[in-house]
Amino acid sequence: MKMGMVIDLEKCIGCRSCMVACKQHNAQPPQTWWNRVFTPGSHRHLTPPIKGVEFFLPVHCQHCENAPCEKVCPVGATYHAEDGAVLIDFERCIGCRYCMSACPYGVRQFNWEDPEKAHKRSEYQDAYHYGYPEDHRHAGRLVYTPLRPKGVVEKCTFCTQYRDKGELPACVRGCPGKARFVGDLDDPNSEVSKMIKARNAFTLLPEKGTKPTVFYLPPKPKEV
Amino acid sequence: MSVKIKLSMWASGCFFLVGLAVWFYQLQQGLILTNMENSYSWGLYISGLAFFVGNAAGGLVLTSSIYLFGVKQLKPLAKLGALTAFANVTAAMLIVLPDIGKPLRLLNLLFHPNFMSPLVWDVIVLNLYALASATYLYILMLPELTGRLEWLAFKVDDAQAFSERWAKRMAPVALLFAIGIHVVTAWIFSTQGARDWWHSPAMAPDFVSVAIAVGTTVVLLAGALAYGTGEKYQEAFRLLGLIIFMAICVHLFLMMNDLVIHAWYGSGETHRIMEIAWGDFAWFHIFEVAAPLIGAGLLMLPTVRRSLPRLALSSALLIAGVFVHRFLIMPAAFNNIPMTMTPLGLPNSHWSLPIATGRFFPGMSTFIDQYSYTPSLVEVVILLGIVAYAVLLILLAIDRLPILVKEKP
Repeated sequence: MKMGMVIDLEKCIGCRSCMVACKQHNAQPPQTWWNRVFTPGSHRHLTPPIKGVEFFLPVHCQHCENAPCEKVCPVGATYHAEDGAVLIDFERCIGCRYCMSACPYGVRQFNWEDPEKAHKRSEYQDAYHYGYPEDHRHAGRLVYTPLRPKGVVEKCTFCTQYRDKGELPACVRGCPGKARFVGDLDDPNSEVSKMIKARNAFTLLPEKGTKPTVFYLPPKPKEV
Repeated sequence: MSVKIKLSMWASGCFFLVGLAVWFYQLQQGLILTNMENSYSWGLYISGLAFFVGNAAGGLVLTSSIYLFGVKQLKPLAKLGALTAFANVTAAMLIVLPDIGKPLRLLNLLFHPNFMSPLVWDVIVLNLYALASATYLYILMLPELTGRLEWLAFKVDDAQAFSERWAKRMAPVALLFAIGIHVVTAWIFSTQGARDWWHSPAMAPDFVSVAIAVGTTVVLLAGALAYGTGEKYQEAFRLLGLIIFMAICVHLFLMMNDLVIHAWYGSGETHRIMEIAWGDFAWFHIFEVAAPLIGAGLLMLPTVRRSLPRLALSSALLIAGVFVHRFLIMPAAFNNIPMTMTPLGLPNSHWSLPIATGRFFPGMSTFIDQYSYTPSLVEVVILLGIVAYAVLLILLAIDRLPILVKEKP
């Protein structure tokens, strides 16, 4: 089993629902976003860079097979789970941020301060907490906790806390256009494998040799 | 002990304590006290690592010159070289600590090392080099560990012969670790395919050349401060000046070679790199080239080497230039977002995906693709605290141990 994700850019309407669902479900502190949706070529989201050309690009951890973040981690806090997801052990991370500079996709986020203090600084309501409320361990390692301590790095886990219960990641469930698909890349007959073959799927920064397991289906040109 | 040394010791001791106190404050508050953010995740501390590692090369240059190439004139400086090497390599390890988000978990490096990580290799070589410099210094001091220091001495029949023999034997081993710290520290950066600015095979040899220049300058400066600029040291200083100048020339060649190759092809990524390295940081770049070159050039002049203030000023200029060179490791790497693409349907456009900062800056967007980093006061004070540590350690050792060769009456 090698899990992979396919994002159909033809179906993505740039609504950023996946961004918000991801942020809420994974209790990300203020100014931390594991998932970002932007309009390529444009400095303003949802604004075409030139007339007639517009598509939207969601980017989160690409769960690379040849993950530079995993290779540089001095203590093995970042590791590959058996299904191919790249996870961070919050009890082992020493916070050296080597992985952040090694990741070409800019998806890794550091906890610069205590999350409660960050909430206060951004004037969140007192005692307002959001997100999956319990710690989650994957094969004994703490890969999700609602309040990450200061000094550790975090990123998209493909919602390990939900997948371990047989549920889909929050971004997949939260997408109103049903643009996201999760499946087994090892199975040539899985929905994702078929889509990758049939629709000329591409990956981000293939020249970096990271072998992402997140695939994008190109959008068709817009009719204006 | 002279009043000057006593004052310097007190001053550096106080600075070190202030740095330590500020680090504890940062431990409590988190790295929010620095000016780093997610897209600019390494700053002054990691530049400091590269800086101190370079300064530690003095031991290597002297050991290899004396025991491998037989340059006897440098012998009075051998212990000073080993001492500055030890002080700087330990400073290099110390400056990493405030950069670590969870320093109390550092033992994970022992319990769960990932041997694929160049950072683990660096921890290993830095420790081995620290151990080698300390052992080497001890062996060189052995014949003079008498009187009140006798309890420190390892009992051998002929301490003088033992010291000579083992210093010679250790020289190649120490040399290996010494080259190792520069190469492996460079690899931490140059192995990162995500950062075009760093991903260059020229980085490791360049680190070695910078280190030979600045490490030797540190020994020259320490030697001149300790012994003065009397005639009997002029031949040693001349040799050191020559080594420094040659190393700076090799460094500038390697750096320019890299920049020309980056600039010539003119792809989008390299265009952005040059915009930062030669544009935004033009004055810094001019300084990183001019200061070491002028400093090293001045040290080639006998009149400069004969005057302590001139020698000290030229050395300081060179060291400052190298420090700026180390600072410039970061901007062209972190302000060039790796996740940059040519969007479908826009073949001539070059677009970077903004990164979430991870922390609140008043008046600044959460998503940015460019960030002007200047170190915070906390970062500067902690760095100065570590400099003070190295100075204090050197002064203490000179005061308490037989580091300096006594003038024969």
